[in-house]
Amino acid sequence: MSDLLRAIWENAYGLLVDDGSLAIGALAAVAITWLFASIAAESAERLGGALLLVLVCALVIANLYAAGRNARRRIS
Amino acid sequence: MDVLNLAVAAAPSFIASSVEFVEALTIVLAVGTTRGWRGSLAGTALAALTLAVIVTVLGVALVTYVDRHVLQLVVGVLLLLFGLRWLRKAILRYAGVVALHDEELIYRREVAELRAQGLRKKEWDWVGTVIAYKAVLLEGLEVAFIVIAFGAAGVAAMNAAIWGAIAAGVLVTGIGVALKHPLTRVPENTMKFGVGAMLTSFGVFWTAEGLGIEWPGDALSLFAILGVILVVSWVSVRMLAAMLPSGARVEARNV
Repeated sequence: MSDLLRAIWENAYGLLVDDGSLAIGALAAVAITWLFASIAAESAERLGGALLLVLVCALVIANLYAAGRNARRRIS
Repeated sequence: MDVLNLAVAAAPSFIASSVEFVEALTIVLAVGTTRGWRGSLAGTALAALTLAVIVTVLGVALVTYVDRHVLQLVVGVLLLLFGLRWLRKAILRYAGVVALHDEELIYRREVAELRAQGLRKKEWDWVGTVIAYKAVLLEGLEVAFIVIAFGAAGVAAMNAAIWGAIAAGVLVTGIGVALKHPLTRVPENTMKFGVGAMLTSFGVFWTAEGLGIEWPGDALSLFAILGVILVVSWVSVRMLAAMLPSGARVEARNV
């Protein structure tokens, strides 16, 4: 039973976090967007969604660039 | 809720759940063909019951009692984490950095392990039952998460997402029963890529909505977000392919 519960917990955690830096980066992107939405003027508030999208895209590219460098180092 | 919003909940739920059902089916088939169908089907039925309880209790309670903005934010962030994890893995697979998911290989490995454990024909096969239960429950947890996430817009969206997942389950199970073989021809890796992009797009959309930010065109903006995510994914695949020598693959845990 404890094995099953552990497997469920590990699976649930693994669902969300595979690479710690990506997860932390995503949470940071959400925090930056929240800050922007709280302090921006009402007319600029609609840009919050675009900001989150840009941050997420930058995060994906940066994370995969680092992954590529790691992989290259292990191969060579 | 209009047809577009219902389709937005049902279609991604159907595609994402199909991928998970294909993976669960591989294990259930492996158990059934090596150890007999009684234990395999009993484990599957018990897991399906457990999942139905989880989705009913959590899903309905969430969309009924939790404040809409709070729910959108929580689901959005979880979806963003979940989607980025899928997308990252899919991009690494497409760039040739990690091995593609091979259902046939997984099936053969599982069959070999199950045969090695031996079988007493007169006793109830608890090993087979537990393995099938665990496989369906763990893959099903992802389906439950997907359904709850895509159905976060409200009761109608939740129903649409549930029906999308049920349709996927019926279709995959039906084909699996007819073929009695893992669904190796399903373009699983391509589907995972698409699902990762969709989950990430929904994550961005719901998170912003949860923070009180309105999207131009409401749900229609999801298509624009998905387009951007797909372009970024393609750029990432090209970038990785250029960084690494062709044919070079490393263990997923090392990247």
